[in-house]
Amino acid sequence: MIEVLLVEDDAPTRWRLQDALGTSGEFVVTAAATLAEARLSLGRDRPQVLLTDLQLPDGHGLELIRETRQRYPDTEIMVISILGDEDSVIAAIRQGATGYLLKDAFPDDIAATVRDLVAGHSPISASIARFIVRRTQDQSVPAVQPALNTARLTPREIDILWGIAKGFSYADIAGHLGLSRQTVPGHIKNIYRKLEVNTRGEAVFEALQQGLIRL
Amino acid sequence: MTDTATASGAPTGRLVRRLALYLALQGLVLLGCLVLAGLPAPEPSPAYRLTQARLASGDEAVVTLPHHLGARFTMDDPPRYRLTFEGPPASSGQAWSVLLPRFTNGVAVAVNGVEILDSRRTPSANRPDRSTPEIAVIPATLLREGTNELTVKLFVWGPLTGFLDRIYVGPDDALRPAYDRRILMFVTLPVVLAAWQVVLAVILGLMWLMRRHEPEYGALAASMAIGVAQTFVSAPSGQSVYAGLNAVLIASAPLESAFCVLFFVVFLGLRLPRYAAALFVPGLIITVTGLFGDLSQVRTTYLLLGPPTVAFCLVLIAVLIAIVFVRRRDVISLVLGSAVTVVLFFCVHDILSVLDIAKDRRIFFSRLSYSVMVIAVGIGLTWRFARALNQVDSFAGSMVTLVREAEDKLRASLARDEERARAIALSSERSRLMRDLHDGLGGQLVSIVALSERQRSGGAPIGEAARAALRDLRLVIDAMDDIGGDLMLALGAWRERIAAQLRAHGLKLDWRVLTPQGLPVYPELRPGHVIQIIRLLDEAVTNAVKHAHARTIAVSIETVPAGQGLSLGRIVIADDGRGFERPPGAAPAPGTGRGFANMKRRAERCGATLEIRSGPDGTRITLDLPARFADLDGIGG
Repeated sequence: MIEVLLVEDDAPTRWRLQDALGTSGEFVVTAAATLAEARLSLGRDRPQVLLTDLQLPDGHGLELIRETRQRYPDTEIMVISILGDEDSVIAAIRQGATGYLLKDAFPDDIAATVRDLVAGHSPISASIARFIVRRTQDQSVPAVQPALNTARLTPREIDILWGIAKGFSYADIAGHLGLSRQTVPGHIKNIYRKLEVNTRGEAVFEALQQGLIRL
Repeated sequence: MTDTATASGAPTGRLVRRLALYLALQGLVLLGCLVLAGLPAPEPSPAYRLTQARLASGDEAVVTLPHHLGARFTMDDPPRYRLTFEGPPASSGQAWSVLLPRFTNGVAVAVNGVEILDSRRTPSANRPDRSTPEIAVIPATLLREGTNELTVKLFVWGPLTGFLDRIYVGPDDALRPAYDRRILMFVTLPVVLAAWQVVLAVILGLMWLMRRHEPEYGALAASMAIGVAQTFVSAPSGQSVYAGLNAVLIASAPLESAFCVLFFVVFLGLRLPRYAAALFVPGLIITVTGLFGDLSQVRTTYLLLGPPTVAFCLVLIAVLIAIVFVRRRDVISLVLGSAVTVVLFFCVHDILSVLDIAKDRRIFFSRLSYSVMVIAVGIGLTWRFARALNQVDSFAGSMVTLVREAEDKLRASLARDEERARAIALSSERSRLMRDLHDGLGGQLVSIVALSERQRSGGAPIGEAARAALRDLRLVIDAMDDIGGDLMLALGAWRERIAAQLRAHGLKLDWRVLTPQGLPVYPELRPGHVIQIIRLLDEAVTNAVKHAHARTIAVSIETVPAGQGLSLGRIVIADDGRGFERPPGAAPAPGTGRGFANMKRRAERCGATLEIRSGPDGTRITLDLPARFADLDGIGG
């Protein structure tokens, strides 16, 4: 059984997601409507998956993502987004989220997405991939929020993102790049990890970039 | 100097070969000069020539003309040459003249004891450096039939010794042409050339004034100015007061030649040693002596210093030019060198004549040949000037090109900046709109979806409608993103949306990109185009979902060759449903007709062509994208 903490203030949506996850019987869902409730739940025990909305009545979901990431590094975090727009998703990725869920997604898709996430397959949308690769291309664009550090992405990872942005399937991408199809999700997870800020690695990397430390 | 560097790099053998070539060419020039000097000066028919004279200076002696008189000063007691000639018959009525082609320094001619000519009254005839002839018509009353007596007094006042060429007496018609030609050659031509020198001197002087860092112009201007003064300023002779002035004028030649050396050194780009100033010393000594010394001192000084200085300067110039030619092998130094050789030849010729070493007809060509050198220098300077102008032109041309390139770059970068600013503005506007939609409309639509799902019955259409609205919202937001003309990026996001939609309806999506690049890039692609294309595709998929009863929807994307090197993007949506063709009489599926019309309209707005084929084994919609998307004007939502 996969323990899921669901944080969503809109009751119908919360019920909907709860139902979508609950019917399959694989998930144990704890629901929270506010940041405070969520923190309380996190204090009690570690969920395997955190699903959280960003706009909460008593605070911002990004805070919750950051706290969870620090406290339970192994917890998979997904942001619940209405539009799947990069504004919210990228901000969540930077805080440690490794995927997103559309609020109006069909129940089957919701369960499948969370299942994949636990299995190590982070979903990434074409528009998010597009946003990331465009950042790798043109760093000189004055930062339109959210800011994103893409300097650590390898050329192969960028190629994978291009493929996703253009609607190629994982199989097509793997074929084009000479990879095994199974390794593509791992690459995507790596991409997420590299885009995350405030991890120790990121701190070292940024210090190197700024010339504060030398190897 | 770089020339020196390259010259020292050249093998010695080549230098020697060049020197040999140069000397051979100068030999040819000398040969030409010899031929020229050997040409006879214009003379009348020998029939009128008088060569026998009795010379009365102290004792009487018979001499043959042309006669060289050793004395340098005979003003007190000029020697008299007595000649006789046969006068014309009284009935002839022809005018007779006496022609003296050449003499130094002055003559007084008397016929039968009556003086008819005194050359000292003609200023140009007093210049020993010009070979001025004299002609005088013998008054008819003086002419006798039979033997007439001609007396010529020869005045000599230095610095040359006396000389009297053959004398001609005959009909004026027979003598005049030779006289005229000699005047043209020895009087008019030098004046014309001197006038030319005046112009050149003024031009060069101005050049030097404007460009002080190029002293060669100044040196040549000074040299020419002295030459001009020497040509035009002439003092009457025979009066001792002006004898000094004459000496000064003669001294101009050494000064002139010193300036010439100066010019050539600078012009050829050689280093001017400080002791070059010593070249001016002889000329100055002659001038000072001419002003303050007596006649014999002037004569001695001039003969000792004048011609040797001129000759030395000329030799120096010739050597310098030869060296430069051997080093650089350029045309200009060859022309200059040839000119200097000509001058040198005639200078030596004249010096030999002056010193009575060569007993010739005492016709001086130095001045004329000097003019040749002036011509050569003029050519050289004009050449250089034109070349400098060309360089300026090409420099200006390359500057114009550089400036144009810089402008183009600047313009391109401005355009890029504008494009970027536009993209940033669009992006931030999109972000703002997205936040608005996210917080407002989007949240409400999601609530509708959630609520409709909780309805036991009748909620599905509401949920479907709300989902469609959300899809459309995402489409609009997505289309506003700058995809740089790559429609594939828009299709990538669209794929995700329809994949979810089809999954919900139990349909399979068969997505195929048949060419590696997918679709061509359309730089003119704007968000409006993207919305039209994606909505068209959305409608095609929705039709298939709602009406076709299909199991699989295949989307294939490819670039197909369209002839003439062009390639077109093509998107095909095919389903395996039962199609829209109805048996006659059956009503078409509701909405499909209007749906197709809508899709056609959208395709037309973009300039794309849409082909719909429907049959019992499915519907196939082929969208051929245009080579260039039509302008957005007039395109509505």
